[in-house]
Amino acid sequence: MGKIRRLVLDVLKPHQPTIIEWARQLSDLEGIDAVNVNVYEIDQKVENVKVTIQGRDISYDGILEVIRENGGSLHSIDEVVGGTLIIEESITLQDQLRTGG
Amino acid sequence: MNPLRRWLQQLKEYEDIAQVGQIARRYFAMNAFDGVLTMIGVLMGNYSAGVESARVIISTGLATSMAIGVSGFWGAYFTESAERKRDLDDLESYTLTDLNETKIGRASRAAAIVVSLVDGLAPFLAALVVLLPFFFTSLWGEIYHSYYLSLAMALGALFALGAFLGAISRENIALTGVKMIGAGLLAMVLGYLLSPFGG
Repeated sequence: MGKIRRLVLDVLKPHQPTIIEWARQLSDLEGIDAVNVNVYEIDQKVENVKVTIQGRDISYDGILEVIRENGGSLHSIDEVVGGTLIIEESITLQDQLRTGG
Repeated sequence: MNPLRRWLQQLKEYEDIAQVGQIARRYFAMNAFDGVLTMIGVLMGNYSAGVESARVIISTGLATSMAIGVSGFWGAYFTESAERKRDLDDLESYTLTDLNETKIGRASRAAAIVVSLVDGLAPFLAALVVLLPFFFTSLWGEIYHSYYLSLAMALGALFALGAFLGAISRENIALTGVKMIGAGLLAMVLGYLLSPFGG
């Protein structure tokens, strides 16, 4: 079966447990090499974080369990990379026109 | 990881989430203080009434300390559970998920239990310490020595509590200790004056 190598998720979480604890728990999962948890919006009780996970064989279910266990709620899956290599998105002509590049 | 280490780590995690330490410390000081002062009241009542049986004082003292313990545990458990449930419901309205079976829900329930145990045990143990000399009355044979020793221990316990609070607030611990002793002395004087044999 194909392997997931990178996942980018948008998650809403309570302030506690902190993103340090989240990064620790996510990186403890089997098949994960690196985790980046980035806060981009803070509210009174919750915060929105962008979670980037890279690894050899990422278990999506394991990640969902960590999110659920820590009181988070998954808003969207923003990027998925699978296969034996990690491939970045290709820049198309439309992208260049949109960004003016 | 061995079970004890895992348990300690989980406790630390719960402490981070539910912030048990601060509130438990507050409850400890407040209720140990209550325990000591209640026992001063019991002792002054017995003293003024001229009770000379260590057995009577021990049984009334134990029953009273038990009642303060139960009252502390019960009151704190229901208050703390209600407050924490409300906080959890509030948080759920933001995350739009059920948080009961998450680390946050478990930490919240564990916090209510830890805090109520502290709230029940602190006055119970503090009251028991004050009562301690009466268990050894047969050693010195004079009940009034037990009374004086108990009251001195009560003042000592109050000083220790004051010093503990002083250490928390980073104030002069001798001064905060003496302030607490003031409450003990006031309770003793009032207890003596209000008794039918006093004043």
